[in-house]
Amino acid sequence: MLPVRSALDSGQPREAIRVLNQEMSVGSDAELPADMAGDNALLVLDRGSVEQSTSQFDRSKRDFEAADKSIDMLDLAHDAKDTIGEYVFSGSSGRYRAPPYEKLLVNTLDMINYLELRDLNGARVEARRLAVMQRYVADDLNEGHSAVLGLGGLLAGFTFEKSDQADEALRWYDEALRISSFRWLSDSVRLLLARGQYRSPRLKELQGSASPAPPGLEEAGEGEIVFVVGYGRVPHKVAHRIPIGLALTSYADALEPADVAAANRLAAQGLVTWINFPALGQESAGLTVPTAFLDGRDVPLEEAVNVTREVHSEWKKIEGRIIVSAITRLVARYAAGGAIQAAAGNERLLGALLSLGTQATLTALDTPDTRSWETLPARVAIARIRVPAGKHTVRLDARGVVRTTSIDVDKGGWALVSLMGLR
Amino acid sequence: MNRRWLSLGPLATAAFVLLETGCAGKEYVRGADDPSVDRPAMSTGLDKDDVQLTLKTLLNQLRVAPIMNEWRTSAGQNDRPTVAIAPFINETSEHIDSMLSAMLGETETWLVNSGIVRVVSQERQADMIRQVEGAQHPIFDPRHIPQYGRQLGVKYYVTGKVGASDERTQDARRVQYFLFMQVIDTETSEIRWQQKAYVTKAIR
Repeated sequence: MLPVRSALDSGQPREAIRVLNQEMSVGSDAELPADMAGDNALLVLDRGSVEQSTSQFDRSKRDFEAADKSIDMLDLAHDAKDTIGEYVFSGSSGRYRAPPYEKLLVNTLDMINYLELRDLNGARVEARRLAVMQRYVADDLNEGHSAVLGLGGLLAGFTFEKSDQADEALRWYDEALRISSFRWLSDSVRLLLARGQYRSPRLKELQGSASPAPPGLEEAGEGEIVFVVGYGRVPHKVAHRIPIGLALTSYADALEPADVAAANRLAAQGLVTWINFPALGQESAGLTVPTAFLDGRDVPLEEAVNVTREVHSEWKKIEGRIIVSAITRLVARYAAGGAIQAAAGNERLLGALLSLGTQATLTALDTPDTRSWETLPARVAIARIRVPAGKHTVRLDARGVVRTTSIDVDKGGWALVSLMGLR
Repeated sequence: MNRRWLSLGPLATAAFVLLETGCAGKEYVRGADDPSVDRPAMSTGLDKDDVQLTLKTLLNQLRVAPIMNEWRTSAGQNDRPTVAIAPFINETSEHIDSMLSAMLGETETWLVNSGIVRVVSQERQADMIRQVEGAQHPIFDPRHIPQYGRQLGVKYYVTGKVGASDERTQDARRVQYFLFMQVIDTETSEIRWQQKAYVTKAIR
């Protein structure tokens, strides 16, 4: 939604939340829309993201959880009628189907809320939900291992590590290490390997490394702080219009021969006939480098996930199908107009008018599907460091959004501090 | 030609009726007035019916368990044992903690009304858990039951846990819950009684 994006770009997250509330017809952030069955689920997801960026973690988790259930329900309810609608009427006529990276990020980002609130019980629930979705995406959707699991695996591993569930923590860390060799993970994993039984070739390699495992936190009189910084926003979808002739040069191979013939007839008439379809816009992260400081000292952050890359990769898989459905809709409109003209028989003027009216109405109804979770951070970086027990000051900065906070870490304790600079 | 335009009349009426129906507002309903509102499953979480059915199974088993007879005998000798009820551990993929708290409350009520044990209040337990676990993470940890028992002076803990198998396919999601309730002797950590119940919820 443009007003939400504009508000975030100008550093006004409260205004973004107000716009979302207005769009959902709710009086305040505390309310959920009465009907979560339609596109409201996406608006609630957006509100959850913006609330997280303003450190309203309780509200954010409430919104993420409500949206998680509704998005899942929409996905399960998606049927042939939705598909037919997308091919005949409009790309946006069907129920919203979240792409795999969105499904995985709902639980991943909600885990951040629980860890910020030091609620391991809630974080474990989100980690288990992530595991269910991970299995579904890999086994049923055959999407393989999503890079989102780099971040998800780190957070879930941390959750189970701090819950004293070593094997589950190792399993998740192994998942994260499959995506990237997070350099700061090595010490934590080697300490865990002494307590757990779970092994994999990657973990065995770490276990066999020459350097000795560091002393435990309690033993060293230390605690740990995890920094999570999201920055920028993923590319949103924008409505595009291109002439039918241009579309045919690229996508004719993917169309039914009868549809190609009909579309060619339209192009040959010399009329300016356009197809409407969505395309990806630009991400807003660019080359920005977020920063983290602990007690005035710089803390190096490491990229945990490039969400924009996931968005592009998913888009590449479906772009062709979306344009083909847009061309099919154009042919359907043309056919509907032709049928009405034929039904008018000898009354040619009336037939032409009705045909034109029908095509115009169907064209007006054909709105490209530009729905997506627009307030996702473009990238997320992470760091984890050991600190002496006691009070510490943390300062995070991403794209001009700053969070400074004071945290108290017990001996053997931990804290997670996050910032989402969604500009 | 006119006939063609006239034929739009019924269509327009139907569209108007549909629009009117579609715009009809929602209303609040009281379960006491319309018991059917409690019947449908609204999510894959646990609801009132699930809690009631589960507790019926578990507490009916506890009623006839040997530990309950032991407590009855002690109560008959004016020596009612002290019991604490610990939070049920949520090991599922659903945020059902509010319903587990409700189960805890119902179990507490059932035990208090049985008149054969003395039940320690939840507030006292929360203070004690904070003392044992520290203020940063004051979460009940079943491994520390002997410590809690000593601090509170309780002989038995009634506790439980809920696990689940959560599966998702292209057209369904199913959550199978496994609920366990147990009585633990705080001095020996021996499980004196344990019973289970099952609940399945699904979207299909």
